[in-house]
Amino acid sequence: MSQEATCTAASSSIANETVGQVVDHGPLSLVRILTNRWFLHTVSIVAFFWTWDWLAGSNVLGGGSSALARPHEVLEQLVVLAREELAELTLWGHVWASTRRVVTGFSIAAAIAVPLGLFMALNRYVNAIVKPLFDLLKPMPPISWISISILWFGIGETSKVFIIVLGTFVPCLLNAYNGVRLVEPELYDVVRMLGGKRRDEILHVCFPASFPAIFAGLQISLSIAWTCVLAAELVSARSGLGYIIVQGMNLSQPAMVIGGMAVIAAAAWGTTLLVTALERKLCPWKRKIAGL
Amino acid sequence: MIECRNVSKTFIQKGSQEVPVLDDVSIDVQANEFVVILGPGQSGKSTLLRIIAGLETPTTGSVILDGEPVTGPGADRGLVFQGYMLFPWKTVLGNVEMGPKLCGLPKDECRDIAMHYIDLVGLKGFEKHYPHQLSGGMKQRVGIARAYANKPRVMLLDEPFGQLDAQTRIFMEQETERIWQTDRRTVIFVTNNTDEALFLADRIVTIEGKLPGRVQRTYTVDLPRPRDLTGKRFLEMRREIIDASVLTL
Repeated sequence: MSQEATCTAASSSIANETVGQVVDHGPLSLVRILTNRWFLHTVSIVAFFWTWDWLAGSNVLGGGSSALARPHEVLEQLVVLAREELAELTLWGHVWASTRRVVTGFSIAAAIAVPLGLFMALNRYVNAIVKPLFDLLKPMPPISWISISILWFGIGETSKVFIIVLGTFVPCLLNAYNGVRLVEPELYDVVRMLGGKRRDEILHVCFPASFPAIFAGLQISLSIAWTCVLAAELVSARSGLGYIIVQGMNLSQPAMVIGGMAVIAAAAWGTTLLVTALERKLCPWKRKIAGL
Repeated sequence: MIECRNVSKTFIQKGSQEVPVLDDVSIDVQANEFVVILGPGQSGKSTLLRIIAGLETPTTGSVILDGEPVTGPGADRGLVFQGYMLFPWKTVLGNVEMGPKLCGLPKDECRDIAMHYIDLVGLKGFEKHYPHQLSGGMKQRVGIARAYANKPRVMLLDEPFGQLDAQTRIFMEQETERIWQTDRRTVIFVTNNTDEALFLADRIVTIEGKLPGRVQRTYTVDLPRPRDLTGKRFLEMRREIIDASVLTL
């Protein structure tokens, strides 16, 4: 009750804009409809597509129809891709090809980097050995490895997965490492006062406390994985969403390029949702703390 | 029974600069006695409690618990932290049954003990809640129940209500007394609040306000419980303690 009172009293404050939990039960009015969140969402989306369609239709960007496809053309192109095969695969085949690479590379990196990060934080000898190598690798953009990986592994799956592993390794490891390093040290005191040993400190404090940080690392890694797979497919591939984009470019079909971009966004979003769902399942305590 | 024998502690800061925190502190606490260590901030009183807990080692002197010297942290002492220090990933029940579990008791027994102490601190019905769903006062109730669950020989409370508002604080002091009357233990309670000390203590040990901390005086509080915060004798003792501590500042 007191919270509601303060909210209405300070309704012009920036804090209320960001908190976004102010519930006002006043009567319906034109102003309230016009400032409704969902109404504004709809307005901005509609305005975006309308502007896009107008820009494409009026040739503002020049180059006739090849410069920018109209929204309905992109949609039609996607339907065609879903029905007809491009390089022996339909759209779903290409989506699966890219997703499989992302999931494989991401899983390999997470399976190695997260335990290694935890070990580095828990053992200073492991830390002293691994950290200099890691610091050497860290600033190198993963995409700079594409050429060498093609020389080593050819243009098959291995080179693409290799790039993704390299790219996602760094944030996975860093976040697991920092997750343990940033644990409130007094929590270790609690475990020891309750009769626990070092093993219990690791099991009951280190691991659960670093979970949110590990998942933040996984989310970052996932978006990097999509960037990496796309870059690798742009350079050389016979399948995948990057291949669709390259084909669209070579065939001068902007609808195909934009369609490929949209599908990548959707696929990346889908994998992110999966990780978020897993996180909610494994850390039920975190959701309310973060206010999500 | 607990004896602190000539406990001194000096911390070494960066660049080998020595900071003396406690100087020759000797305190005896009898079985089932409620002793409050009263002193201002930065007087080393929390360090003294951590030494008794075994989380710090004294530079000189020793702490004897029932005839045996304290060498490290252990389940025979229950510590309640100023910042609650609950495990955010565990429910109220999970937090409270942690101690019995770590001590290797069977699962059913852990649960029964935990439920008993959750009930004792007045949190029945909140077993499944996570700490972030609780108010400050409720969090510290969990902290107290968690420390009690190991049935420690001594309860150590480090400014447990320092983060609470004034009203909740008084309420929690009354609750502390009720809980202590129900399940009598030896208690060492650290605070900077004179009223809190007078309300709860059998005996108050005041610590001087400058580092290194030294025992200044001991007051025996023989007022009948529960005490009246505005009673005549209470206010007289309050005046006496405040006058004595202000003079040394």
